[in-house]
Amino acid sequence: MNESISTTDAASFGRRGLFRIGGLTVTAAALMAACGKNPAGEVGRVGDGPTTPTLPGATVDNSVYLRTMASIETSIALAYDRMVKSGVLAKASSTLPNLGDQTDMVKAFAEHHRTAADSFNALAVKAGATAWTCGNPHLDDVFLTPIFDRVEKGAVATDVAKAIEPSEDATRDMINLVVTLENLSSESCQALVGLVTEAQYRAKPMKFGVRSARQAALAALKVAPGAYVAPTDASAAQPGVTTTTEAATTTTAAPKGSTAPPPPTEIPLPVAIPSTFGGLAPITYIGGHGDENGVRLKLNFETPSLNSFIYAYATCK
Amino acid sequence: MDNEVTQTGVEMEQRSSRRGLIAAGVGGAALSLLPFLSGRADAADTTTTATPTTQGTTTTSTPPKRPTDSDIALLAAAQKAEFTAQALYGLAINRVKGWTTEQATVMTTLSGSHQAYANAFSGMLGRVAPNVADETILGKFDSTFTGSTDDVLKAAATLESALVATHLDILGQLQGVNGATQIAAIVTAEARHVTVLRDLAGSTTLSDLLVDTEAASLLGNG
Repeated sequence: MNESISTTDAASFGRRGLFRIGGLTVTAAALMAACGKNPAGEVGRVGDGPTTPTLPGATVDNSVYLRTMASIETSIALAYDRMVKSGVLAKASSTLPNLGDQTDMVKAFAEHHRTAADSFNALAVKAGATAWTCGNPHLDDVFLTPIFDRVEKGAVATDVAKAIEPSEDATRDMINLVVTLENLSSESCQALVGLVTEAQYRAKPMKFGVRSARQAALAALKVAPGAYVAPTDASAAQPGVTTTTEAATTTTAAPKGSTAPPPPTEIPLPVAIPSTFGGLAPITYIGGHGDENGVRLKLNFETPSLNSFIYAYATCK
Repeated sequence: MDNEVTQTGVEMEQRSSRRGLIAAGVGGAALSLLPFLSGRADAADTTTTATPTTQGTTTTSTPPKRPTDSDIALLAAAQKAEFTAQALYGLAINRVKGWTTEQATVMTTLSGSHQAYANAFSGMLGRVAPNVADETILGKFDSTFTGSTDDVLKAAATLESALVATHLDILGQLQGVNGATQIAAIVTAEARHVTVLRDLAGSTTLSDLLVDTEAASLLGNG
């Protein structure tokens, strides 16, 4: 009833006028956004903070892959040099009494990795990059240095954890590291095949991968003589036969009611042929003395990826 | 409702201009989006022509994934070599006596592995897969897979070394990534086979166990 007595002009202004103003506003805003040139000014600064650094471009190409492989091989060779220099491989192992002195074998392995590094660098130069003669910073800082420190020195006490002693069997830990690094080298070469874009960068690296795979198998047989194939493959081939390749259990729980310290993490024995096909799965390393709960250092080595690539802007330290 | 009943010609005209304004508003909004849309279109053009990477673009071209025509011939040869190896292991396991449990386990496992490799090639090649052994290679190695168990282990190690050389030979020629990665997964395992077989046969020298001298490639022999 109210509407019927209101004037036509007032009703039109109230609703249609609003539409009109709204439409004009949107149109004007759109035109200004499309045609306007208003360069963003600098944000006002308060204080004297540093400017935001600009990260260099991280292009991933064949040369980066090849430089990374050279760095991995160099890191492995340097790790073996450190083992040989310390003389730990010549010492008797309480865990592996039949191991014997493996110094000469590891020296030969180191020489192979140096040759591989040179070859990868030659390929990297061919691909337009500069040679990388240092180790891989990520592999060194996150894996190798912590392992050597834990095995040789243990760990100091912190507010929340007791000190950890040096390894009770450094020889065992180092030969297991050799197996791990050979597997890493082999897997890394295998992974490279699917990454590079040209066939010429596949076959030669894979030759070094083949050699590393053989070295991994040989080192595994030194640690666990007769551990030729994985337990599952052995039982599938000869049903009912128990072999020496049974994997160790990894129980860490202390016996119920016992006051004795918990048993340390058990270290699985390596196998010469761990799987039917060469895999790219992470390689688990367990070593060092157990902490107050019996837990040893455990690390998963993986094939190179974004955080371990040697990009074009990186330089040797 | 009352408004519609009582609307006049003037109001009709106002409604028409109202529709026009809405249309103009929508048009203006579309115009305002043009720079944004054109920017997206430019970006899309850029990314579709480059290989995606983490933070930038690679400067190299992307290789084919599926095997090319020339790859198919190479992978077919690889499959025939694997079937041949499986057949030779089978022959030796049956006709040679005196296998220890350890030796029999390794021989049976490796025989199965070669079957698995051949099957993997079959899956990749599909209906063009040969699915047969290579008679020439079979004939070449057949006479060596006899005698004592140690003789067979050494012969098998030589065969495995030849297979490694063959796969590396093929790897250097393949264009497709899928075939190359499959070969890489096989050759790293077969490399280990040689070391295991020689260790099982009693070899102790590093140069022998690590195969300083690889056997000749079987490619072109079949």
